[in-house]
Amino acid sequence: MYRRLLINIYQVRNGLIHTQNTRLPSTKCKERESFAPVIWAPCTARPLGTSSISFSENKENSTSLSEDKEKRPEENEAKEEVNTDGQKSTEISNATLTLQLETEPVDKPEDSKQVEKTKSGKESLLELLGAMKVEVTTVRKIRPSKTPRMSERPDQEPMESTHSMFQHATAKGSQQQGTLNPALVAAVSAAASTLPNRHQAESELLKQLRKHEAVPDTQRRADGQNIGHIIADMKVGGRKTNGRSSARPTSQIRFDDDGKGYTQDRGITGELDAVRRRKSPFTSKRLNIFTAGMEQDTLSVLGPTLWDIDLANQIVQATNQAPRNGFEEMIQWTKEGKLWQYPINNEAGLEEEASVPFHEHVFLEKHLDESFPRQGPVRHFMELVITGLAKNHHLTVQQKKEHIDWFRDYFRQKDDVLKEAEA
Amino acid sequence: MASSCSQALRHHVCKSSRILRVHLQKAWPNRSFVLNSAADQQPAVSSPVEEIVIPKKKTWSKEAVLQALASTVNRDPTASDYRFQDDPYLTPKTSSEFKLFSLSQESGRNAAKYFISTYPKYFQKDYAQPHIPCLMPETLEAQIEEVSEAALIERIQMRKVKAAVDLYDQLQQAGTPVSLDVTNQLLDLICFYGDCDPAQENVPEQRNEETEDVQDEPQTKKGRASKASDKLKAAWKENNNAERIFALLSEPNTHSYSALIRGMVKYGAYSKAFSTYTDLLNNQLKADVSTFNALITAAPEVKEKYNEKWELIVDLLKQMAEQKVKPNLLTLNAVLKALRRCGTVGKSQAFPVISEMRALSIDPSLASYNHLLSIFYKPGAPFQGQTDILQEVMNEVSGKSFTPQDPDDAQFFITAVRICLDTKDIEQAYRVHELLGVGENWRLLGNDFQQNIYHARFFSLLCMMENIDVVLKWYRDLVPSVYYPSSNVMRDLLQVLDTDNRLDLIPQIWKDLKQLGHGNRQTLVEELLTLMAREKQNQEVQETFAECALDIKKMYDTGDRGKVMMSWTAGSLSDLVSVLLAAQRRQDAWEILKLFKTHNRVPSEELLDKFLTCIKESGDVNQALELVQISAGFCLPGTPKLIQRVQQEFLLSEQQKSMLSDLEIQTFNSD
Repeated sequence: MYRRLLINIYQVRNGLIHTQNTRLPSTKCKERESFAPVIWAPCTARPLGTSSISFSENKENSTSLSEDKEKRPEENEAKEEVNTDGQKSTEISNATLTLQLETEPVDKPEDSKQVEKTKSGKESLLELLGAMKVEVTTVRKIRPSKTPRMSERPDQEPMESTHSMFQHATAKGSQQQGTLNPALVAAVSAAASTLPNRHQAESELLKQLRKHEAVPDTQRRADGQNIGHIIADMKVGGRKTNGRSSARPTSQIRFDDDGKGYTQDRGITGELDAVRRRKSPFTSKRLNIFTAGMEQDTLSVLGPTLWDIDLANQIVQATNQAPRNGFEEMIQWTKEGKLWQYPINNEAGLEEEASVPFHEHVFLEKHLDESFPRQGPVRHFMELVITGLAKNHHLTVQQKKEHIDWFRDYFRQKDDVLKEAEA
Repeated sequence: MASSCSQALRHHVCKSSRILRVHLQKAWPNRSFVLNSAADQQPAVSSPVEEIVIPKKKTWSKEAVLQALASTVNRDPTASDYRFQDDPYLTPKTSSEFKLFSLSQESGRNAAKYFISTYPKYFQKDYAQPHIPCLMPETLEAQIEEVSEAALIERIQMRKVKAAVDLYDQLQQAGTPVSLDVTNQLLDLICFYGDCDPAQENVPEQRNEETEDVQDEPQTKKGRASKASDKLKAAWKENNNAERIFALLSEPNTHSYSALIRGMVKYGAYSKAFSTYTDLLNNQLKADVSTFNALITAAPEVKEKYNEKWELIVDLLKQMAEQKVKPNLLTLNAVLKALRRCGTVGKSQAFPVISEMRALSIDPSLASYNHLLSIFYKPGAPFQGQTDILQEVMNEVSGKSFTPQDPDDAQFFITAVRICLDTKDIEQAYRVHELLGVGENWRLLGNDFQQNIYHARFFSLLCMMENIDVVLKWYRDLVPSVYYPSSNVMRDLLQVLDTDNRLDLIPQIWKDLKQLGHGNRQTLVEELLTLMAREKQNQEVQETFAECALDIKKMYDTGDRGKVMMSWTAGSLSDLVSVLLAAQRRQDAWEILKLFKTHNRVPSEELLDKFLTCIKESGDVNQALELVQISAGFCLPGTPKLIQRVQQEFLLSEQQKSMLSDLEIQTFNSD
């Protein structure tokens, strides 16, 4: 959809191109030239979005074109304000972006209508494009400074460098023709010092850089002249421009007027990205011996064999098992069983009794069976005993039973004494 | 109205996009702004809300709380290892002390265990409540005396090979049938120990420490050395008990074959293992995964050519697939390890093997990556165009936490950092080091010795590639809490100081050197002196240099107890003198100058010349004359020049003049 909208916009703009500053379209095509559709989308979407907003508003208002004309300058001013705000906080400019995005789906059916309208209202479009220009330049100025240097994706980096390239193109273009940026020279000598014969390497690198400096300069001029052709090419689609970007040898050191691009290219991220872009050997073809969902014939598993134990032992021997702090030592002791485990709930240490319900502990009358007298002092005593046992949380049920059994034996032995006392 | 409406809408969108971006930035903190706007678009169209599932109950392991607490403790770069924190007196300062103290702690434990197990009758009182089994003596003697299957099982569990075999024979003679499972266990035991009784429980641990000492040689030698010692220790004997008992089995099953084949592979009877495998196939049985693993390990041993080895491995894998045996991680590692010995075939086949295993959802462990790196980076071989393999591997493993699954896992870090050192790839080295900090990966760095190798390599690379500030940052971080640098590494550090012109740090480094026990390394100390003497620094630095130099002199004089004494050389003495002279310490320098004579060394002419200049500044005529005398005493060819200088530059009495002319005549005559 972006592409289609873009083409529309370019069709429109093509007619107006002579009134425009030539630099703006040239940036546009530069951007398109180097990058994949995903990335150019945000930039191209913005001017589009601006127009689409105004058009959607047109629709809402359902006013005549003349009214629109009156309204639009105001709107564009508002946009400008937003964009200058954007210099301070990129969030706002982003917000407008999202806003535009949300309106875009609404636009889609209007595409054709839009073109017609724009053609009829050339004047308003002129204003609109003026607003766009402001936006483009301001955003550009913020971006390179705000952008974190590290980049995750390969595509961003060239993007950034082209931004900065054009940002500085007019400012610095002329003054740097003869000399190289001192920072760049410093970087070159630093790089050269890592190589075996530094002087030769340094001079070679510098020579290379000068050559590249010359190239973008001439290219830029050529771009300026051929801008009409390039825009004409744009209508055809991205195919040709892609060819152009690949015409630039990747092995060459990319030169930027602001000298930033070079340093960004150094370091491992660039190389890594290059690697990532290439196919990773880890995703290479497989041997195709096994089938993925293979079911294993279940063998009788007899628990760990001597070999398994030895393997585990070897692993433990090979790795570093020394504790690094007191807690790790305690973990080790816990695993060995030397340390009472750190309580993680209220049942810590209750393994033995975990399966015993509480009533087994509390209701012990059932153990006072017929071996005890039904009534009398012995019975009374034993009731006191089980009350005490019921409240004792230190003994297990088994121990409580043993306790009662001990009394049972005791009273049985003392049977004659009890009888004598007529208890 | 419309404009206010759009304002409100804009406000709303602004807010939501901000929230979105906060989320996104959390996810990718390093994204650049351009991507940011691109990424914002997609969620704006469809914002996926991740559902948070709250579990009803979480069962914690019994170490959960301790693990949480342990994760709050960071390493203190100023403290020694936790093991040595109990007793400040036993804080190791040198690598030898480190080794000694850590081993003594371990051997103390072993000794205690030995006594408890040898004299269990003295350790019967069980104080612990609840009972702690691991603190109680182990039973080392068999309890069941009668000839029965239970007794056999007991002997198998106690790993008494000879006794178990004898009992099995007795049972056979008595005609008592032994179940297949027990026989298989017996076979396991015999094959595992190669038909020899295992050494006593505490003895092997001592032997382990010995082998650790042996491991001091570079890693590559170690593998072969231990393999060779295995072969020496025990080889698979023809018709040993395992084969005999195996032959007695009427219907050996997979387990029996597995035990026999693994034993044969372990004890070097590789071709026999393959014939046993053929035997297994003939008996219409299927092998298990461990059998295949053993056979794959043995494959490179039985074939000569690289592609024959590989064909054999592929053949084995195909048979696995035919027999529906699911490979495991150890299979993958065995294949990769075998590929290390297949030369160029290894390079082409390593990645397909890994992809194959990935397809079976077997994720490579660090050992697999270690084998992979070893396949591509042979030590001593040139490294063109292979640097990216390490990058690929690091891309795969970065940020992952690994659990030990293979004994070779512990080799990964050493191999990776070796490659970084060989290819001088500091970026990858940082990534390797970062990986070490993830999760429990530090455990996979291996034992103390391996840690030392790793840190030595890492630090050498830093010295080679980084500037002094970065090197010192790492130096302070690693030394001496985890790493005790060797004298070679310290020399690297001195070179970095030299190249980055930070010689003013030398006195600090000297202190560390002394503490690390390198104070008596002659070459190192001499280099230190040369560096200090070479250039003139500012006054303050010269002062500290002079102090340091005197300290070094003390080292020469006393020497550490029981350590090698250093001997003065002419170079070191003259360096010392020039350092002291530069710091205007004429008196100290004079003392040193006398040492030339006592140690039979000859000072250089330039040194004496320098000395004379220094004397002239103070105008001490007598000392100047003495200097000339010393020079004459050494019969230096430059003496006449010195005499001339003294005559011209100093105010001399008659007596002194005559003395000088006498000296002049003497030197002239001696010429």
